[in-house]
Amino acid sequence: MKSRLWTVCALLLVVSLLLSACGGAATPTSEATGNACGVVELQYWNPFTGPDGPFMGQMVDAFNASHPDIKVTMTSQGEYYTQLTTAAAADTLPDVAIVHADQVPTQAFRNVLRPMDALVAEMGISASDYPVGVWNAGEVAGHRYSIPLDIHPMTMFYNADLLKSAGFENPPTNAEEFEAIAAALTGNGLQGFDITGGFPVQQIFQQMLHQFGGTEFNADGTEATWNSEAGVKALQWMKDMQARYSEPNLEVDAELNAFKTGTVAMVWNGIWQIANITGDGVEFDGRATAVPQIGPQMAVWAGSHQLTLPVHKTVDPCKDQAAAVFIKYLVENSVTWAKGGQIPAAASVRASAEFKAIEPQASIAPSVEYAFFPPSVPGITDAFGPLGEAVGAVMNGTTSDIKGALDDAAQRANEILAQNRTTYGAAPQTP
Amino acid sequence: MVTGKRKFNGVPYLFILPHLIFFIVFVGYPFFNGLYISFFNYDYLRPQATTFVGLQNYMDLFRPGSVKYYEFWNSMRVTLVFVVSSVPFLILIPLGLATLLNTKLPGTNAFRAIYFAPWVLSCAVISLIWWWIFQSQGGLLNYYLGALGLPTPRWLSTMPYAMITIVVATIWWTMGYNMIIFLAAMQDIPADLYEAGRVDGANAWQRFIYITLPLLRPVLVLIIITTIIASFNLLGQPMMMTRGDPRLPNGGGATEPVMLRIFTEGFVRPYQGSAAAMSVIVAIIMMAFSLVNFRLFRHQE
Repeated sequence: MKSRLWTVCALLLVVSLLLSACGGAATPTSEATGNACGVVELQYWNPFTGPDGPFMGQMVDAFNASHPDIKVTMTSQGEYYTQLTTAAAADTLPDVAIVHADQVPTQAFRNVLRPMDALVAEMGISASDYPVGVWNAGEVAGHRYSIPLDIHPMTMFYNADLLKSAGFENPPTNAEEFEAIAAALTGNGLQGFDITGGFPVQQIFQQMLHQFGGTEFNADGTEATWNSEAGVKALQWMKDMQARYSEPNLEVDAELNAFKTGTVAMVWNGIWQIANITGDGVEFDGRATAVPQIGPQMAVWAGSHQLTLPVHKTVDPCKDQAAAVFIKYLVENSVTWAKGGQIPAAASVRASAEFKAIEPQASIAPSVEYAFFPPSVPGITDAFGPLGEAVGAVMNGTTSDIKGALDDAAQRANEILAQNRTTYGAAPQTP
Repeated sequence: MVTGKRKFNGVPYLFILPHLIFFIVFVGYPFFNGLYISFFNYDYLRPQATTFVGLQNYMDLFRPGSVKYYEFWNSMRVTLVFVVSSVPFLILIPLGLATLLNTKLPGTNAFRAIYFAPWVLSCAVISLIWWWIFQSQGGLLNYYLGALGLPTPRWLSTMPYAMITIVVATIWWTMGYNMIIFLAAMQDIPADLYEAGRVDGANAWQRFIYITLPLLRPVLVLIIITTIIASFNLLGQPMMMTRGDPRLPNGGGATEPVMLRIFTEGFVRPYQGSAAAMSVIVAIIMMAFSLVNFRLFRHQE
């Protein structure tokens, strides 16, 4: 009996020693010797767990091969922002991280990201190479926190075989053409335009809101303004299109699955669906192109992956220099990334012959000049919550009062914005 | 310490020590720390923004008209509807199955294994399976309903069907566990009691009501309580199957459970204090449920 107890105690001791060894092990760094940094190891995190991951992996491998003095280790993970924030609490953040444009201010204010003004100036990356909206998304309280890597716009996917069968050679570029095609291909088991009651209807609404001349928030992000006349027009248009050309009450992804069966002429979803529902992904001629201009002005919903420097208790200048080299490399070589279904954010890359050879990305690319981004305010994504609820409720038919739902959502968003202002304050704490 | 007559024996305490350490580290400390931060405006990443707010986090949840009030109580209502509509099935179906499998019929072992099998799958797997069955584009169920000329509702995106899909998936997933516990308890009931019942002329139904059920009572109480608590902790199935949809015009989702709301409040938004207050309220409601349950059954004894 007693000996068994000792065995247990001994085992516990061994386990605890092992655990502490894992937790406390510091990777030896070779930079301690004077000015030379030696081989610098960089940790690089991103949320690319889908089919886009391998394309990023290729870029990292190519970078490692061409830069013997820097070794980048890439980690792709889901539930990404929970991972980032808990790593921030434990001071185990990576050296370079991808953050979505609308999350940059939030993560800056939450002490996850640090400003990189000096480094950006050194890198020679300048605002003039980017569309204004996507560049401004990386600026928080007067400081630069991120470099745009890509822009991923709302995209129109269409079944070219169906369009041809109804006599349409080209996809629509305006409201009349869009409705003509949708009407011609609705009925007899076909749907002209499928739209869901969940994701991405909020994003489609945002796009239509901008096309009809509205905005989600006022310029400084203190008030929701989507319950404008433009907002009502936008949501009414979506509801009308659903009633005329779509199956009702579709759940998330149902429009994509319906499209893949070949019975739907057009759907709108993110550009990241290219591999899923065009080319080899389907048994018909599935194609992708820029979304049409329905309202009086052109606007395209888009997200953007941005490269950032996370916070560390002790900043290692060697790692920062290496991170700058790595970030510049990713931006300049984002043609590889484009193959994964993204549009490079840098205009110089988009203008290159290499990128222009990648279809359908190249023909969607001009639309990113019309991409809009939310005001750079911490917690702005929280304020989009009520909008998603209002648009989802209208599209799913849990309410038919469009103006009422948008008003109500705006009021709730204003309350959230006010709470966020109180808790976040005016500027991030300087690390 | 102890009176001189009995010598203090530390060995038993050593045996519970490993569990006690884990209990304190992973249950005890988080519980009291949660209670503590529920009185703060708390963000673990921004110590500068952490301030004592007293009962404010609780008062916000009881202030009608505010965003937090509606979102929290909507998710609480969703969770309660789920508890009320899933727990009876999760008791009655396993009880029935256990009774059937507690016989000497051939093949009972195979059936026990089959009914228990879903329990070993992860939540993500069963959610995906049932999502494929219920989804609207070529989903199994609507395919056959359509072939038979029956109505084909949008199971995942309209009410009340979205809630029904989650209840059905949960029952299929977890009924095997309750069934095994019932079965084990039934096999502990002495066979001579049934023998005596048979001699007295009791039929199968009477033997079940007057012998099996009363002797199962302690296990029944345990299973009801653990099932209620498990149902309160609903999270993965709606996250994977419906994403909380359909959305409601006043905010929140028609299948958004309170655990998802707490996660959103604390980890997607920077309000861990408010999320902790929500957790405390849910814990109090769960304790009340368990207490009522205990009282009801004790009263009958």
